[in-house]
Amino acid sequence: MTNNELKNNSQNRTLKQWLFNPFQFIAGGNALFLGLVIMLAAAFLGSLGDLHFDGVIDLHIGKPAPLWFFIAEVLIDWLCLSIVLLIAAFFVSRSSFRIIDVFGTQALARTPYLAALLVIMPKGFNRFAEYLAAKGMQQPTTITIESTDVLLFIVGIVVVLSMLVWMVALMYRAYSVSCNTKGGKAIISFIAGLIIAEILSIVSIWQLALRTGLR
Amino acid sequence: MKKLPSICPACQSPLNIKRLSCQKCSTEIEGLFELPALAKLSVEDQEFVVQFVRCSGSLKEMARLQKLSYPTVRNQLDNVIEQIKIPENQQ
Repeated sequence: MTNNELKNNSQNRTLKQWLFNPFQFIAGGNALFLGLVIMLAAAFLGSLGDLHFDGVIDLHIGKPAPLWFFIAEVLIDWLCLSIVLLIAAFFVSRSSFRIIDVFGTQALARTPYLAALLVIMPKGFNRFAEYLAAKGMQQPTTITIESTDVLLFIVGIVVVLSMLVWMVALMYRAYSVSCNTKGGKAIISFIAGLIIAEILSIVSIWQLALRTGLR
Repeated sequence: MKKLPSICPACQSPLNIKRLSCQKCSTEIEGLFELPALAKLSVEDQEFVVQFVRCSGSLKEMARLQKLSYPTVRNQLDNVIEQIKIPENQQ
């Protein structure tokens, strides 16, 4: 196969490949840089609407906090999952792998949550969420909701859940490509890693909030 | 010239070579000869190995040419290594 043929082959890429396995084409330092930019953008947008990434796969409306706390949250989430999956890969993968690929691809895998933020940022979503919370706890509320708030809320929930599924699929692909893991072992180790990382990140963010007086 | 098949199309078992012939003098040698390890690979994997050698064994260069990520190319190489190892272990 000539170099030209190889270049032609590489152009036969589908949108599906880019959406669900971009790590075939991008990894290492490039993915890390792009992922960090996306995470910082997500932290900044989150700080504008008090949307906290308080766990590896969590996105909640919370109390106001300084920008650094939102940045710390996204970094803790990313580091917890990357480190746990890196340790899992040492046991599961039979081939060598680069640490920068694991961290880079996991950073880029968090892209869907940036899209989710854009959908749930409008005030109408928060207003209806607060209204539901007050009703759920049977507390009196002065919140007045508009007819569009319900629609915004339903659309927001559907989009967030879709983005969550997409993000977890990307995280698995990132793990599979960067560590060359396949089959049952890969799936089981990923699920176990995700659960451990989720617990670790929640505890770490909680501790950070406690120690800095934000809770 | 046709491409050398390495797998039986009927039962999917590995194929061996039974007859070799010289195109110049038409001498024919008959026997049971095993295919070399690289010839047992699929056409795609053989092309990968050729490209790997052309790139002087640089996975980074291969990744750049194919516009693929480094781990993807390395995983392809790992798959080829795994396939070469299997017949070695069977011997």
